[in-house]
Amino acid sequence: MAWFTDRHCFLLAVTFYGLSTLYSVFLWRKGFRRDDWVNYCLLAGGVALHTLAMTKRGLSLHSCPVNNLYEATTFLLWALGLASLAYALLPRFKFICAFAAPLLFTVGIFALMPSLDPPHGPKPEFSGALRSLHAATILQAYGAFGLAAVAAMMFLVEQRDLKIHKLRALLSFLPSIQRLELITTRLVAVGFVLLTVGLVAGSALPRQGATAYFADTKVLWSALIWLVYLEALVAHKFFGRPARRFALGVVIAFVFLLLTFGVTNMLSPLHQENPPPTVRDGQITVALVPAALHPSFSPRA
Amino acid sequence: MSVVVIGLSHRSAPVELRERFAFAGETIPVALQALRDSGIASEAAILSTCNRVEIYTVTSLAPEAAFAELKKFLVAHHAFEGSLNEELYTLAEPHSLHHLFKVAAGLDSMVIGETEIFGQLKQAYEIAFTHKHTGARLNKAFQRAFNVAKHIRTETNIQRGSVSVMSAAVELAEKIFSSLAEHEVLVIGAGETSEKTARALQSRGVKKITVTNRSPARAAALAAELGGRAVPFEQWPEEFERIDIAISSTAAPQHILDRAKLEPLMKRRKNRPLLLIDIAVPRDIDPAVNALENVYLYNVDDLQSIAAEYLKLRQEEVARCEKIIAEKVAALLEVNRFSTTDGPR
Repeated sequence: MAWFTDRHCFLLAVTFYGLSTLYSVFLWRKGFRRDDWVNYCLLAGGVALHTLAMTKRGLSLHSCPVNNLYEATTFLLWALGLASLAYALLPRFKFICAFAAPLLFTVGIFALMPSLDPPHGPKPEFSGALRSLHAATILQAYGAFGLAAVAAMMFLVEQRDLKIHKLRALLSFLPSIQRLELITTRLVAVGFVLLTVGLVAGSALPRQGATAYFADTKVLWSALIWLVYLEALVAHKFFGRPARRFALGVVIAFVFLLLTFGVTNMLSPLHQENPPPTVRDGQITVALVPAALHPSFSPRA
Repeated sequence: MSVVVIGLSHRSAPVELRERFAFAGETIPVALQALRDSGIASEAAILSTCNRVEIYTVTSLAPEAAFAELKKFLVAHHAFEGSLNEELYTLAEPHSLHHLFKVAAGLDSMVIGETEIFGQLKQAYEIAFTHKHTGARLNKAFQRAFNVAKHIRTETNIQRGSVSVMSAAVELAEKIFSSLAEHEVLVIGAGETSEKTARALQSRGVKKITVTNRSPARAAALAAELGGRAVPFEQWPEEFERIDIAISSTAAPQHILDRAKLEPLMKRRKNRPLLLIDIAVPRDIDPAVNALENVYLYNVDDLQSIAAEYLKLRQEEVARCEKIIAEKVAALLEVNRFSTTDGPR
């Protein structure tokens, strides 16, 4: 079974997410009236294979598998999938799987692009408790934001149906909009706390090189994400921003996060495994920061 | 020996005739005894509700003879002097059992799928059973009917949804708010429908109700009945800061709540969701308020169309229920499963 790599395993997981997406379309067309376990089981199958893929990768690295863009993306998806399965156990929340599956499937397909996980590279030096804490909490924060976006989508669908007096609002097995709003707010709050912890841990990491922490593209981008979610939370909780606008903001923020996540990694010297030497005041400086999320790194080497 | 049924219902007879043939609860045991003493039936049960009067019997007579005797009994018992033709229906096995199962499942009710009839049928059976007017055959038929009704309730959507304006309003409230117990209701105009809607909301957990009416005495009376409080009619806008559901049914000729009036109130509510149920004709609330964030406005037409849609869905489920009933009747009629031992035991 040596030929069966962790990527094959992840490919199978994405296939399950794809099947779940197809079934979700069917559930959507039926107005979420069938509160069955089929979609839950499909998603659970996907998450189980996804866990196996990450375990295989982690065992081969002897560390948490968050060393390149492929691993970071799969870790984020795994956190999102697992949290969706947990939330689906709440009363009337089973359909969260139908909203999460398309996200897991499309981002999973993106993660499978070979350029995100090149076959050769040096052994990762990504180790140490602080670094693990930094990468894992940030990716879990993105997972929480992703799940918040899923709950926000459920809210927007149901809220619209109620507004335009569509019978589907009553026939569907979705939770009340107030409950969806509460879940979205809590998930954003959890994600925000995790992101804060992750960023603080990142700032404490030792680094050498010319790039100042707050001049790095990824750090600036993370700070922007942090501010966006802080503004959304404060405006909603303390200034009465309507739930619909809050939910819309949460969805847009996560779409922005997904679309720019890879690009900012590539533009970030602090997150490059071997960034080019820089010259300042006649002195050559070489960054010795380990490969955190570098696309050219592969643990399979 | 077979189960036969004779009766009249909302489908076959007007209410004047149905009330003429209705059995008062305390007279049913006497009527059952008289029926058995006459030799027409060895087992019997009488179901008497506002929508139907039916006698279920086990008889050794041929169905046609049994029907004639049962008709004579009904007419004599109620001292009816008019003529009865199509108003009475008569059914012999297997149709009698099929009918019993349909009645138990609410498929023969005025509102398809309603559950009240299940309790009434159970009560009718309890009376007959307690007074020892049932035997193996009726016992098995009724018990199977109750099982089939429960099976249909869980396996189909026949009882799903709200088929009245009041229950549709409650269902809407439950789709907006997590728990009705934490939300206060304002009743504007102490009409009958708003009272019924408020009561329906109370039955689902609402604890605080405020009533306002142009006549303070009427408001106070309704508030006392609902266990709530009354406020002067001029002050109802001030209540909007606290309440989350408003039911309006005043006789005002124009809108009493419009966008200009509600907008500042919503700001004071910090944009908490607000469900407005306008059951007044002409309407009390300007439809334009539905465009405001966090406002959900439903008028009487919206609620009636929800109820009608649900009824349509229930009607679509009837075919599934009929199939289940046909299978269960066939199973009951299998030689070894439907006892041939007759008479009360």
